[in-house]
Parts: sequence; C-alpha cells; structure tokens
Amino acid sequence: MSKFLFVVPPFFGHLSPTLSIGAGLIARGHEVTWLGIVPVDEAHLPEGGVFMVPEAALKGHRAEIERILKRQDDGPSLSQPEVMKLALEETYVPIARMMMPGLEQFMDEWQPDVVVNDCITFAGALAAYKKGIPCATTTPVPPDVMGDTAGNAPKIFEWLQKLIRDLQHSVGIEEEGVFIHSRKLNIVFTSAAFAGFGNPEPHMQFVGPVQGRPNHSPFDWERLSGATTPKIFVSLGTLLVDIRKEFFTRLIEAFRDEPVTIIAATDPAVLEEWPDNFIVQGFVPQAALMPHMDAVICHGGFNTVNDTFMNGLPMLITPIAYDHFHTASLIEKAGCGLKIRYRRMRAADMRNAVWRLLKEPRFREAAAAVRETFMAAGGSARAIELLENFVMEATPKLMDA
Amino acid sequence: MDTVTINQPAAAAIFDLLKQFITEVIGEEFAEEMDIRPSSSFTKDLEMDSIEIVAFSEKVKAHFGAHIDFTGWLSGMDLDQLINLNLNDIIHYIQQCR
Repeated sequence: MSKFLFVVPPFFGHLSPTLSIGAGLIARGHEVTWLGIVPVDEAHLPEGGVFMVPEAALKGHRAEIERILKRQDDGPSLSQPEVMKLALEETYVPIARMMMPGLEQFMDEWQPDVVVNDCITFAGALAAYKKGIPCATTTPVPPDVMGDTAGNAPKIFEWLQKLIRDLQHSVGIEEEGVFIHSRKLNIVFTSAAFAGFGNPEPHMQFVGPVQGRPNHSPFDWERLSGATTPKIFVSLGTLLVDIRKEFFTRLIEAFRDEPVTIIAATDPAVLEEWPDNFIVQGFVPQAALMPHMDAVICHGGFNTVNDTFMNGLPMLITPIAYDHFHTASLIEKAGCGLKIRYRRMRAADMRNAVWRLLKEPRFREAAAAVRETFMAAGGSARAIELLENFVMEATPKLMDA
Repeated sequence: MDTVTINQPAAAAIFDLLKQFITEVIGEEFAEEMDIRPSSSFTKDLEMDSIEIVAFSEKVKAHFGAHIDFTGWLSGMDLDQLINLNLNDIIHYIQQCR
C-alpha cells in the first residue's frame, strides 16, 4: 500500500475532487494526507484521511494569507487581465512560496510515495521535484484557460515564464524548465471532448467528474417533493461572497412571479426576504439534489458544471471572473446551455434564457451528449487506477513488497 | 498634404463611431449607465470582456477596413497595456493605419 500526499490550495472547488479520489484511495487501503494552508472542516474529509496544516512554518504568514483570501473578493470587479495578475502574482506564487518550508519538512517526516499537487498549488510539484519524489497533478477545470499565449500573446507568455522561473529560483531550483506541474500524469476532471482537446498529450488524462467525497448536508426533501413547477438549481459556489446579495436580488426579480421553483445554494441571511417559490440553504447535498432538477444557473464553478452535465441538465452560465469565461465558451460550443455575462445580467434576459432551456429540447440533448463523454472518461475509478499504476511504475520497489 | 487631412477623420468623429460600436456590443441599457469618454479604458471602465472586445474589433474592421489588424495589435501588448488600453489608444491606432 502506498502513501499519497495531496497538496491543495485554500479554495474548496480545487480541494473537492481530491477529497473524492482520496476517499477512493483510502477505501483501497492506501494512506492519504492532504496538506494545505487553511484547515478544512472535518465533515468534508473522508474517514481515515488526515488534513495537515504546517502551522509552525506558516506562523509568520497568517496575516498575509488572510489578506490573500480577502483579496479574492475583488475578482468580480476586476477586468480579465487584472484577474490574471491577481491569480498568478498575488495568489498562486505567494502561496507556493509560503507553503514550501512546511511542506518540505512534512515530506521529510512522512515520506510520501507520491505527491499529488493541485494545478494552482505549485509548491507540491516543486517540493516533489527537489526531493525526487514522483508527482502527479490534478486539474479540476478545463486546462488551457489562457490559450496559446506563446503564439498569440508573447509578452504575456514571457511574463508567465518569468514568474515561474523566479518562483523556482526562490525555492532553490536552478535548472531550466517548468516544474510547477507533473509532466508524467495530469488528471483532469472533465472530458477531452468537452474541454476541446482533440489529441491531448499522453500525460494529460481526462477522467471526467469524480464522486465519492462525503456530503452530509441535510435538506428539506419534503418541501422539494411538494414543488410542482420546473426546478432550477442555483449556485455561486463557495467563493465570491461579496456579490451574493446583488446576484440573488436580480435572480428574485427574474423569477419571483414565474411558475418555477428555485433551489438556491446560499446562506439565506444574504437577503432579508425570499419569495415563496425559493428554497434557500447554505450548504446543500448538491450531487443528491441534481437528479431532481430541470435546469441549473451558475457562474461556472467547475464542480457545479460537472454535477450539472453528469445529470444531463441544461445550464444558464453567468460568468463572473477567473476561468468562468473559458467554461462559458465551452458550454456554448457544446450547445448544452446559454451564457449571460454577470455584468450584463438583466432579469428579462435571464427569464427568457431559462424558459428556452426548459422548452427547447436541443439544450437537454446536448447536455446528454456531454454526459456521455463524462461517463466514458471513467471518473473516480479511472483516476484511482491511474494513480495506482503511476505509483507502481514510479516506485518499482513497491511491487516486490 | 491637403488630401491627407481630408481623408483623416478627426478624432472626435472616430470617437463617436467607436462609442456607437461599443453601445451595439454591450447593449444600450448598459452603455447609458456608463460615461463613455476617450479616456475610458475598455476592460476597467467599460467592463468589456475579451468576447466583447473581439465583437467590437470586428465592427472597427468592418468599418475602417481589413488593414486595421486590431487583434494583431492587441496580441503585442503586455497585461498592463491591456489593462490601461483606452479609446484614445484605438483612435490613434486607427489614424496611424490610414
């Protein structure tokens, strides 16, 4: 049996799929530890899993971490090029620098067989490279968000290369090359067809959505089963706290007098009053709810996107920032949904879009086609198989043990 | 030199045209809420995303001619240049290309 160390960022959308495959690895007898900079609610962890925060090494960085997390709330009000700077310069790179000492120390103590770094959590791959430990990467969003910058935007490409080079130098890697991701195995939680990869490199393994992480959130199923109108699930994910009031105010304006039932995954306290056709709750058992829905409205957070198309539902995507625009363009291309940019969201347009999704079969048909590609990708079972094969090949000694 | 000045539309005229294109792209309702000026930046002030900027550049091309290589011009920029890009920059670029 092997020891897997998942290195994760303080963003639940990136942690979530690793919890699912981690749960599967634990069930198969492996030891799994997650290492991050912010503790995670025990309820999210699969039984037997350990979440490690190197507190001593992070002690002097607490204020900066708080500032970085708070800064994410500015995302929705920033332009796309500003968000690129926010993500790389102000978030991923500083987090990687802060993580390195505690991570390296923990790796020396725990001696993992494999490091699995999330795609924006560079420290995992960098520490693994320094210590000669095999490393795989997990990518929860369609890759290639920035497109071909080398060919289309050489100055942006150079900026990115320099950031990575400087980061690598600062953590003691002098060799030329890019070591923030695994070149051996990169597990991507969507399908190649949906992400627009006709002929992916062999290390890019598209396994589709993964399931299996615990979600014990209660829900008022009785109230849901009493609803007779089409059911629309609405989520803004776990980030983007500041804009909830504005977003849901507009949602109410659009749907309070419509014959639909809105299931909104948000803390009810963001607004004083909700219409009768709205069921509102903070954390919801999203995967269990989806099969009961008729359509989904979300900003493009990838776990909700995956849950939606795993259930063959059409989506109204309202991209706000980050990679949402890229995801929106993939959805439009696949024909499984409609896009209204958050900045240009009008109640009448939202209403029209949702009724089109409900009434025109082509959206549901296209969503079902995406579902097929997701199912064929293999999901959690495939991800676990890839990781087990990877550890076998990377550490042959284990085969004799 | 007379012909040059005649053929070169004044900056104000180009600005009015660009403002019209922006209104068409982002919608009248949203354009009315904004104070669109020559100094307005595309991404920050007008909150245009890359798809809207592409739609806008298509309109510029359709009006001023295909020799205006808008996307080629943008692709040579770094992030700060993109963040600060405003209508005046485009007006100058169009004037240069003519």
